[in-house]
Amino acid sequence: MKRILVVVTLLVAASLVLSACGGGAAANHLEAIKEAGVIKVGTSADYPPFESVDESGNKVGFDIDLMTEIAKRLDVKLEWVDMPFDSLIAAVQEGKIDASISAFNYNEDRDKMIDFSEAYYTSEDAFTVADGFTGTIVNPEDVAAYKVGVQTGTTQDGWLTDTLVADGTLPEENLFRYDRVDQAMLDLQNGRIEVMMSDYIPAQALAKQLGGLEIVYHGVLSSGPMNIVIPDGDAELQQAIDEIIKQLQAEGFIDGLAVKYFAE
Amino acid sequence: MGNFFSYIVQGTAITVAVTLVALPFGLILGLLMALVHTYGGKILNRGAAAYSLLLRGVPPIVLLFILYFILSGRFINLSPFWAGSFSLGIVSSAYQMEILRGALLSVGGGQMTAARAIGMSRVQSIRYIVLPQALRLAIPPWSNEVSIVLKDSSLVYALGVPEILRRAQQLSATTQDPFLAYGTAALIYFVLVFATNRALDYLSERTKLPTHP
Repeated sequence: MKRILVVVTLLVAASLVLSACGGGAAANHLEAIKEAGVIKVGTSADYPPFESVDESGNKVGFDIDLMTEIAKRLDVKLEWVDMPFDSLIAAVQEGKIDASISAFNYNEDRDKMIDFSEAYYTSEDAFTVADGFTGTIVNPEDVAAYKVGVQTGTTQDGWLTDTLVADGTLPEENLFRYDRVDQAMLDLQNGRIEVMMSDYIPAQALAKQLGGLEIVYHGVLSSGPMNIVIPDGDAELQQAIDEIIKQLQAEGFIDGLAVKYFAE
Repeated sequence: MGNFFSYIVQGTAITVAVTLVALPFGLILGLLMALVHTYGGKILNRGAAAYSLLLRGVPPIVLLFILYFILSGRFINLSPFWAGSFSLGIVSSAYQMEILRGALLSVGGGQMTAARAIGMSRVQSIRYIVLPQALRLAIPPWSNEVSIVLKDSSLVYALGVPEILRRAQQLSATTQDPFLAYGTAALIYFVLVFATNRALDYLSERTKLPTHP
């Protein structure tokens, strides 16, 4: 038994040496991050176009670019910690990471355990038609009467499938799934589909770029505002991140990212 | 696409590293517990039995979360890699303990009596007579445990350690081609398990004693 005790003691000692120990006592979490010069941010890099990995294993996407800019303005280095989505909130709660950005939607139950930043992006959905469209779309459900295009696997695809196709108003054969939004918009121009459902900001960009297209409806249907997750009660970090998000929104940085990532 | 393939393959190094920490850690702990269970007194014997029962009754992923999210940071500070590897090692130690205990018991009790009769101490008898035979006998069942630990090492992905499975998930999301991504992962696991099992078969054959069939 004595030997076991010795082994356990050695292992504990070894693990203490092996792992990096936290810094000194800073006034608050934000100060501690600035003192360390690095912010550890968790993400689940399997949700393109928000966060994914490219051919070389680098993290890319809307959230990745946004957080990179936020870290730059906080004047700290950014360290990504990739985790499955389910582990992220627990990791923030337990202080394993400083914050998490992973296309989180605000949710009351989650808000009890952690805090949310200001919404950095509200993904509105849009219905786009070609000039000369003779139908009428007042309510989102009205699109069921037409040939509808959507990008495969997006939240819009989910909304169309779960509401209109599920209740039988939109026949499955009238739902056309595309790999890319820009291809679908070209088909819309050519009359192969009558309505295209996509994210609002990229729809605006493409309508302007391609011409002959008009957005007839936009609103929040398939998802909602997205927020960065920060530890519960961490007012200083929340305030710092909120301020930067407001700046980036005012500068059009976030709209630019939306065009970059959701338009193709 | 070539790069994508190499991205998954890079995860192999992490899978192997996790296994190389968990397996020896579990072996040392398991051997100690097996010796305590077999040769320790009544109380130690009960303690070792309880250890085995408890750890074999807990899913590895639960222990992993407890060690990383609950204990680590409060009492000891472990990185995801070490927390994951130690947890798998601790779970494995209970199984390895049972394997080694079976091997120790299968060396006839008469040998211990004979060793003591020629003047060896208890520790000497275990060290020079029982253990060398028992360890040889343990290789075939132990190779089974090796493949289990190798495959269970994929659990550390839950803590964000980018081993084979986590990388396959990411590639599946990026390429929209789950068959290719998970197929590649399955193939790598198979090759690893196949190679280690063949190596252990060879070791078992090479170290076999003439007295054992």
